[in-house]
Amino acid sequence: MSHVQIIDVEKSFQGKQVLKQINLQVEKGEFVTLLGPSGCGKTTLLRIIAGLERSDAGTVRINGRDAEDGAKRKEHNIGMVFQSYALFPNLTAYENIAFGLKVKKVAPEVIKEQVAAIMETLSIAGKEHNYPHQMSGGQQQRVALARALVTKPDVLLLDEPLSAVDAKVRENARILIRDIQRKMGITTIFVTHDQLEALVMSDRIVVMNNGEIMQVGTPEQIYHKPQNKFVANFIGTYNFIPGSLVGMGEATVCLRPEHIRLVKRSELAGTPALGTVSLLGRVENVYILGNTVRTEIAAGGCNLLIDRLNGYQGSEFGVGEEVGLLIEREACNVLAD
Amino acid sequence: MKKGILPKIILVLIFAYLFFPIAATILFSVATRWSTTILPEGYTLAYYQKLFTNPEFLHALLRTVYVSTVTIALSVVLIVPSLYLAIVYYPKLEKFFEFLSILPFAMPGVILAIGLIQMYSRGPLRISGTSWILIGSYFVLILPYVYQATKNSFRTINVKALTEAALMLGCGKLETFFKVIFPNIVRGVVSAALISVSVLFGEFVLANLLVGDNYETLQIYLYKLQKADGHISNALVAAYFLVILLLSLLMIWLTFRKEKLGAKTNAES
Repeated sequence: MSHVQIIDVEKSFQGKQVLKQINLQVEKGEFVTLLGPSGCGKTTLLRIIAGLERSDAGTVRINGRDAEDGAKRKEHNIGMVFQSYALFPNLTAYENIAFGLKVKKVAPEVIKEQVAAIMETLSIAGKEHNYPHQMSGGQQQRVALARALVTKPDVLLLDEPLSAVDAKVRENARILIRDIQRKMGITTIFVTHDQLEALVMSDRIVVMNNGEIMQVGTPEQIYHKPQNKFVANFIGTYNFIPGSLVGMGEATVCLRPEHIRLVKRSELAGTPALGTVSLLGRVENVYILGNTVRTEIAAGGCNLLIDRLNGYQGSEFGVGEEVGLLIEREACNVLAD
Repeated sequence: MKKGILPKIILVLIFAYLFFPIAATILFSVATRWSTTILPEGYTLAYYQKLFTNPEFLHALLRTVYVSTVTIALSVVLIVPSLYLAIVYYPKLEKFFEFLSILPFAMPGVILAIGLIQMYSRGPLRISGTSWILIGSYFVLILPYVYQATKNSFRTINVKALTEAALMLGCGKLETFFKVIFPNIVRGVVSAALISVSVLFGEFVLANLLVGDNYETLQIYLYKLQKADGHISNALVAAYFLVILLLSLLMIWLTFRKEKLGAKTNAES
């Protein structure tokens, strides 16, 4: 039996259906991310799991027991980190973290021990007597995380906790959350609209759009084998080309930018290898994306994006130059819709 | 942008203009006689002494304090929890409260008073002429101020998220309100109370029409005093002005103190 079971959950707000027949199983210790654009229903689903919202239909079970009712929340011990952190402004970091334990009437010495331990793990030891407004965004986030984790919850829910933080801190925070989650083995459900985050952190990703689940899979599966146009478009960048261009029939075909090879025009002579298609194109634009270079090329009536690792000698191809493209048919995916 | 001396001069002139009547009032209250000369003929504190030892004044003051305190206490006890419930659990109610809170502004004092006298002079609730009708109508009078101040406090602390965080940590709904929410809105509530005090201490129309001499509040006493003795009534006005000034300064200090509460999150580590 899965640790968290979401069965036929539906929810509408003011006539608009926000969740349509959602079914999902999460295993114990798994890190699952609900990924999708704003308004897809991911936060609503999370809040229903948390017991903060009631679904219109369907059930949510944690450990086999119904988790819908807020009143039953005490039995389930769910830890939650909010997007705004929701730290209690009138309490110090220590008091914030200890709050859940205090409510459970845990002995003060035990509280002291456990709070110290979690603060150590999250590198915020020493900030016990600071109030939230005296801490940086990154520290507040770690206090919020500590507060949710110290009660050793059955399930950890995170609602876009990294969206308010700057890029560098975000990178470190992702690794931190993932490591702690693995160490403590807590079943975790994470909500984000950032697909890179989802790819880096998750065991499985649930891609959602408009209240429906578009695809569930591991990061590799989602990335390499998108099952529909939405998922293909949402995760990373994809080139959509007519199948006829690569000899794969009439349907649209999608192709990752890093799977197209660029060669000098002069190298294009002769028949390409079996299963490879060669095209002639012209460079329209070149972008530097950090450690990749993205080249925009007009070829075969389409605008294609090609990503390559940034060589230390700079970009080989300039705007306006004519280049050759080599595409392996195997790298192309035919899409359902 | 030239930062000349002109704006400063204009500011000083405006303040002088505004303060002039008050200055004259204060001066008159410490003058022995001041009818034909530019400045008073002599100075004395006798009028203040007469005022503060007069039992009628002290009783009037006490009545005002009593009515204000009861009204404000009632307001806070009723409005704060109701608004909390509306914002966190029943959002549709919030719109209703919003409507209620601007309703008092639609009623001019005199019309309100006449309607109230009619309603409460007969029937089951014969409170016309007593302090209770005054408390009731004062409650309605300060409703907008208490509502607005409380709503702003709740907004500042993001009350819904805080409540949900506490609930997720296992805190009960009641415990959450008293342990988590209330400590964070005390300042806003105190601010509302202080505004209410200054509004209620200065309220004359309803007091005069609804209870008049039956329950002589400070403002009614002042009204009577003005006809009797100019010096003493000015002393009262001067003293009253001083109290309200102090109250306002207290409110400003409370509101703009270095934020310990509220949603400020940017500080260096």
